[in-house]
Amino acid sequence: MAISTTLETLADTSLLRASGRLDGSTSPQLEKNLLPLLAEPGSKVLLDLAELDYVSSAGLRIILMAAKRAKQAGGRFVLCGLQPQVSEVFEMSGFTRILELAASVDEGRGRLAG
Amino acid sequence: MVGDGAVTTSDDKVLEYRLNSDLAAIAGLAEAVTAFLAQTPRIAMQVNLCLDELLTNTILHGFAGASGHEIAVSLKLAGDWLEIVISDDAPAFDPFTEVAPPDLDAELDDRIPGGLGVHFVRSLMDDYRLVREDGRNRILLRKNLPV
Repeated sequence: MAISTTLETLADTSLLRASGRLDGSTSPQLEKNLLPLLAEPGSKVLLDLAELDYVSSAGLRIILMAAKRAKQAGGRFVLCGLQPQVSEVFEMSGFTRILELAASVDEGRGRLAG
Repeated sequence: MVGDGAVTTSDDKVLEYRLNSDLAAIAGLAEAVTAFLAQTPRIAMQVNLCLDELLTNTILHGFAGASGHEIAVSLKLAGDWLEIVISDDAPAFDPFTEVAPPDLDAELDDRIPGGLGVHFVRSLMDDYRLVREDGRNRILLRKNLPV
């Protein structure tokens, strides 16, 4: 059980897809792959979690760091495709209120184009 | 070296599992718990989240990230509830009194990481406490099951 990530570039948006399990042992890998995408001022990043089966607080820590970094750098960070069990963890954390969430990659791209 | 895996028992109401104090060992426990609670997948997911959070705290803080310590986890189906015990030989630590609760209403700029794992346990379990016994931490959890 692990995590894997793939990166695509769509016009001015980076689309990172994460699949598998995001926990204390795999969160360093997401940190390494996600945070550099937000380094440039004004960066737009879409994180697709449709294939992510599990998230713990260790994973939420990286997502919080990414959202803060995007805001500080005048960028945008949108998450999409949360499975119900992942969404439940986001809700318990109060993260659905402070993060930008979309149902699908298409909806997320629409948000970032706006 | 401590191995990971379920301890064989003849009782299908009990899961006894031993794991090494290594974050990478938690996924194997999660698979065993998912199989043990196959009739109630949503509860299995909630139990796995709580076990992951408490074990991650124990491994990173109790053992300072050092592998080689054995942690024992047991799940027991008893009527309409599930009893869980996590036992380790780390220094005494009570996550239910010593971890500050997160501010769930903070805005993004003010939100600080930390405290969420214990918050999940408080939210998802019906009872939770730490007992210090024979130089070991024993975390006792209880989850009511749907009738």
